[in-house]
Amino acid sequence: MFGHIMLTRMKCLLRDRQLMFWTLFFPLILGTFFQMAFSNLDKTESFKPIAAAVIENDAYKNNSFFRQLMDTVSEGDSRIFNLTRTVTAEEANQLLEAGDIVGYYTADGNQVSLTVKSSGINQSIMKSFADQYLQTSSAVEEIIQTNPQALQNGILSKLSDELDLMKEVPIGSAPLSLSVNYFYTLIAMACFYGSFLGLKEVTDIQADLSNCAMRVNMSPVHKFKAFLAGMTGALIIHFAEILILLAYVTQILKVDFGSKTGYVLATAFLGCVLGLSFGSLISAAFKKNENTKTAILLTSIMIGSFLAGMMAMNMKYQVMKYMPILSYLNPVNLLTDALYSLYYYDTLDRYLLNMGLMGAFAAVFCLGTYLIIRRRKYASL
Amino acid sequence: MPVFKLCLKIIKKNLVSISLYIGIFLLIAALISLSGTAEQASGFSASKAKIAFMAEESTPLVEGFRQVLEEQATLVELPDDKEKLQDALFFRDVTYVVRIPSGFTKDFLENRGTRLEKTTVPGTTDNAYVDLRVQQYWKLANLHLAGNLGITQEALAEQLKQDMAANTTVNMAQFQNKKDFSQSFAANYFNYTAYSLTSVLILGISAIMMVFHNKDLRRRNFCSPIPAGSFTMQLFLANLVYTIAAWAVIAAACFALSPQEILTGNMPYLLVNSIVFTFCMSCLSFLIGNLVTSRNALSAIANVVGLGPSFISGVFVPQQFLGDTVLRIASFTPTYWFVQGNTRISTLTSFNWTSLSPVFYDMLIQIGFAAAFLSAALMLGKRKQLQA
Repeated sequence: MFGHIMLTRMKCLLRDRQLMFWTLFFPLILGTFFQMAFSNLDKTESFKPIAAAVIENDAYKNNSFFRQLMDTVSEGDSRIFNLTRTVTAEEANQLLEAGDIVGYYTADGNQVSLTVKSSGINQSIMKSFADQYLQTSSAVEEIIQTNPQALQNGILSKLSDELDLMKEVPIGSAPLSLSVNYFYTLIAMACFYGSFLGLKEVTDIQADLSNCAMRVNMSPVHKFKAFLAGMTGALIIHFAEILILLAYVTQILKVDFGSKTGYVLATAFLGCVLGLSFGSLISAAFKKNENTKTAILLTSIMIGSFLAGMMAMNMKYQVMKYMPILSYLNPVNLLTDALYSLYYYDTLDRYLLNMGLMGAFAAVFCLGTYLIIRRRKYASL
Repeated sequence: MPVFKLCLKIIKKNLVSISLYIGIFLLIAALISLSGTAEQASGFSASKAKIAFMAEESTPLVEGFRQVLEEQATLVELPDDKEKLQDALFFRDVTYVVRIPSGFTKDFLENRGTRLEKTTVPGTTDNAYVDLRVQQYWKLANLHLAGNLGITQEALAEQLKQDMAANTTVNMAQFQNKKDFSQSFAANYFNYTAYSLTSVLILGISAIMMVFHNKDLRRRNFCSPIPAGSFTMQLFLANLVYTIAAWAVIAAACFALSPQEILTGNMPYLLVNSIVFTFCMSCLSFLIGNLVTSRNALSAIANVVGLGPSFISGVFVPQQFLGDTVLRIASFTPTYWFVQGNTRISTLTSFNWTSLSPVFYDMLIQIGFAAAFLSAALMLGKRKQLQA
């Protein structure tokens, strides 16, 4: 009997085209849009040589130190500038106005000035570089003044010494990608869209909510058994949908979920349980029509996703930093954070904390649903 | 005008879900404007990178280093906890963590080769910017140590402070432009309207159209004494009123949120571009209203048609950050041309025919889309009429 009810319920769900759209196709479509919009995101912050110009006037030609400095930083693979050498200031101005260069240097005696048309990070780097020149010349002057011997001792050769001063200490093994968190929130959102399946299951078993449920309640099957069969069917469908989504996101869109595949699947499964039970609780708790319940579900999922960083990644961090309690009370964030910790951390502590809290939420949702729908008797419908 | 009145009634019935879209949109827009699009200073202001400064010792040299960094970076206070630092880097709260191991100063002065530890988002522009300054400080320290053998640490720190204060003069080139408008609130705001306008128009107009596409209703309407021309005119008028109202609310909100931008020369063009886009979207909604028969499918379509082009056309992520293929696909949607028009308008500094013609070109393409949507809708409408 259990199997029969389960299969019938699964057919009911699969034939509901609207339900299938929101729980399966919409996340797939959204994932595709994410990929299209975010695929270049990581490249936007990477450093590219800055288009700069220098005016080759007499001062520049006579200032061998500055000239050498410019030459070294505009050659090779690790160059800072793609340097254009112009003869006149007018020429440089034209390039600047056309947007072909970010700014240009003008040498005047021992001084160097910079001309730009707006503020920005590239302009700041150009300034910082010119500052370096000024600072170094002032330091050298100072040294020669206090200690004239230094010149003979080869102080100038020190200038070109590369200083091996910094040790790069990587933090964690995963790349600091700007886009992965969006996909984690997408998976979390899709899991929670499973609440529409839970909503339908409860609507179809609570006799005061739908005609179908009235009939089911008349049948000589124990209500809890029928409900459990329906929920099991819904869970199977939902988990299959999430697996399809995961396969699409990891295999076709090539989003990195780290190497702990087993844990990712476990997270997805718990996420499905969480989403379903959330939907059934809302459906059981509110005796309103289905549209209102859908609106409640959608709003809470959207607020949850927003706080988990779906619209702006930084949101998740801000919540974590300034209102940490909220990030633990938001189940969508817990799910996102579980995937994030699998991807990014070396240890499983935070992941297990997230999973534990998700389990607790799921238990509360299930228990709540059970307490509301059990032993309902209707005098009249 | 019974048809017109009916349309208003339908709109009223759907007002909750429609105003939800507008409300959420305006809320987000208000948040953005409150957080303040940075007022563009007229002079040059150097960028500030975000750094976490972790010093395990406090010596004059290290203190001096901190001060020098502070001039070019915002030092973000973070607890010295691995996960917290990882989070901060991942979400770009800082892009550079510099750690000074204890005993570093002593080792440095004695040239023992102890190194500073840095943890960064590799390869970023911010990173290169900070590196320049970090390297410079210690390089100069090295120089002074080599040139002035007996120098004390305090004297060295003082000397470095003086050296690092040297500042390049930065001239701002003036090219007849008054003000850069591209970072303004309005420029971004109008891009975002693409999403809300599309959703709101599809929901509203299609809701009206769908009612009239009920077959029984159509048959009954054909029997009514209202001439078909008047019927269509009233329907058209209702849609027009709704479109104008939606546009006016959204445009008025822009003025309310950022009143100082009303009088800029770019604003009229932004408004015109937005009217053209609104017209185009109302034609699209008209088409969708003709195509779609189920109310449930409508919310799905409104979402996909609203979100999709916004994602790929540069509403949520600026066009300059999108891939070429994506942009090529996006150019088959009017949203792409709307956003491109906005971007062009906001960078305009002079308003003559040569600088404006690309903007008009963008608008023209949107009108082309509108014409295509409208004729497809009319054709479908005619066919349905014959079937009725």
